[in-house]
Amino acid sequence: MKKILIANRGEIAVRVIRACRELGISPVAIYSECDRTALHVRLADEVYAVGPSAPRESYLRIDRVIDAVRRSRADAVHPGYGFLAENAEFAAAVRDAGAAFIGPSPGAIAAMGSKTAARAAAARAGVPVVPGTADPLPADMADAEIAAISARVGYPLLVKAVAGGGGKGMRTVTDPADLAGAIRSARSEAGTAFGDAAVYIERRLTRPRHIEVQLLGDEHGTVLPFVERECSIQRRHQKVVEETPSVAVSPELRRAITSAAAEVARAVGYTNAGTIEFLLDESGAFYFLEMNTRLQVEHPITEMVTGLDLVRWQIRIARGERLDVDPERLLAPSGHAIECRIYAEDPDNNFLPSPGRIQHLRVPAGPGIRDDSGATAGLEVPIFYDPMISKLVAWAEDRPLAIARMRRALREYIVAGIKTTVPFFEWLLAQPAFADGAFHTTYLDELLRSRNGRPFVEPTPQLEEMAAVAAAIETALSASAVGGGATPLPPQNGRNGSSGGWRAQARVEGVRGL
Amino acid sequence: MQYEVEIGGRRRQVAVTRVGDRFAVTVDGTTKQVDVARIDAHTLSLIVDGVWPADVTIAPASQAGDLTITVGGVPIPATVNGRRRWGRQDDAAAGTGPERVAAPMPGKVVRVLVNAGDAVRARQPVVVVEAMKMENELRAGRDGAVAEVHVREGMSVEAGALLVVIQ
Repeated sequence: MKKILIANRGEIAVRVIRACRELGISPVAIYSECDRTALHVRLADEVYAVGPSAPRESYLRIDRVIDAVRRSRADAVHPGYGFLAENAEFAAAVRDAGAAFIGPSPGAIAAMGSKTAARAAAARAGVPVVPGTADPLPADMADAEIAAISARVGYPLLVKAVAGGGGKGMRTVTDPADLAGAIRSARSEAGTAFGDAAVYIERRLTRPRHIEVQLLGDEHGTVLPFVERECSIQRRHQKVVEETPSVAVSPELRRAITSAAAEVARAVGYTNAGTIEFLLDESGAFYFLEMNTRLQVEHPITEMVTGLDLVRWQIRIARGERLDVDPERLLAPSGHAIECRIYAEDPDNNFLPSPGRIQHLRVPAGPGIRDDSGATAGLEVPIFYDPMISKLVAWAEDRPLAIARMRRALREYIVAGIKTTVPFFEWLLAQPAFADGAFHTTYLDELLRSRNGRPFVEPTPQLEEMAAVAAAIETALSASAVGGGATPLPPQNGRNGSSGGWRAQARVEGVRGL
Repeated sequence: MQYEVEIGGRRRQVAVTRVGDRFAVTVDGTTKQVDVARIDAHTLSLIVDGVWPADVTIAPASQAGDLTITVGGVPIPATVNGRRRWGRQDDAAAGTGPERVAAPMPGKVVRVLVNAGDAVRARQPVVVVEAMKMENELRAGRDGAVAEVHVREGMSVEAGALLVVIQ
């Protein structure tokens, strides 16, 4: 394997490029119109334009991505996550084009991509699933019959899209009177989002935790599970903070849940990286939720506590290598790791996306800090894609130190020009319940409701005064540049009285207020 | 140089004097010594009174004269000299003539705190406008009397809409 095409963009494309470089493999990038200046384009060896900015016209166009594979003569394709990563048709098209797909087989993607088929596979492997319907509800099933099935499953319940993910096509029903309407709207949303309107019914557990198990499987029959990840901190079913290990998982529970995950994967002949998600209820019982047949956003925390590079192993497994690591090592975490997903969203405006140009960027670093990012100063964060700009990860010997380190890193992080979720994380990590690890999947939504819209970012009188000082100084500096009199800043600028062209340019920039 | 800087609905008179390679900056009558170093096109590193450091990013906002200043991780919108940022300084105008208090953003008037004829002090809140789920107190820029009130509670206003005139 000499050349890998990365069928993705942004921070995950950068992450895969880094793994390629470390293996001596040449990385190939693809890009849409608005990603011309993105970091993944600037770091790659070869780049191929795949179309206009809208994902449906570029990153989701299988024909254009395959065309780039052929033109670059890449011998493998890494799909990242999102876009085409869990598309069995794409995985098959890559193989048909003579390249290796760095991920599971098209058959495994298809089998685990359907939530009802995945639940059946888990049940066959002897792993408990959340009580619910075994099959999708037929489109022509009468409301009365659905109501009877729902009563057997028990309320509160969830109506979930068979092809779902990220909370789309999902409805909570507490009152049987709301059932028919919830099914209608879930079907309609699922049809729009996934092109598949099928839904099924699942009991809603009270206050469960979301615990997931990372797996690697090679092409020689070895499947190994990793120490669990705790992903209960979610906003509207989207993970925002992940950590490993979980405070709620004892060594005995770890054995049980990781073995169960490996059994499910072995039952479907799974290869490469994948993750099995479970719900853990208050009694300590766990239930299979779903399988993600790709690398996860939160993979770095597992890398931090086990020392393995998961992307490197994905590539090695795709090359046919054996997964010859000590299984015990993967289950014995060294220290504790936390990830915060830094989004270009305005936490004070209902987390609406905040696209725009990053005018200044100061990235945290130092002991135990890792920032997996595709952001650079001057970059325009586009409106077309997921607004995640970085994954900030903190590692330390234990959980309290990891939290302290993350809070220190958040304080160092400056992203000027757009709004980000950094202030929201500073608040969240200061919550006593977070420090105690006392949370569940609806904890954050409840906590946010109780804040009642109180702003995360509140300028203090001191900060306002500093801003007034800065505004006046900047205006004075610009004014002196316009007047052409005193040099704007003697010690730093140093270049007074050089060419007239340079001075003229400085004046223009002064007028623009740069 | 004398500037009028409006932040959070409050106008401050800020005087800036070059002293060697530093600046003496007077805000609301208090003077600070500020050491200034440029980090990049948008960012200054300040050291206030010799010991207090602050990184500030100053970026032009959509309207001329409007800036977004990020300090301590908090973006703060500021307006320098109203719409006259690049014009000649007109120090004599400050403090005389009618003051027009305008809505800085589109929103809804939730409270009108003054009536025509009321005496107001500088920085006294006159109108509260709700925008983006936040209540914003708009204040008088100087001492005077309320000459006109152009809004009532419950009204929606556009950015720049005239709310109150102070004579």
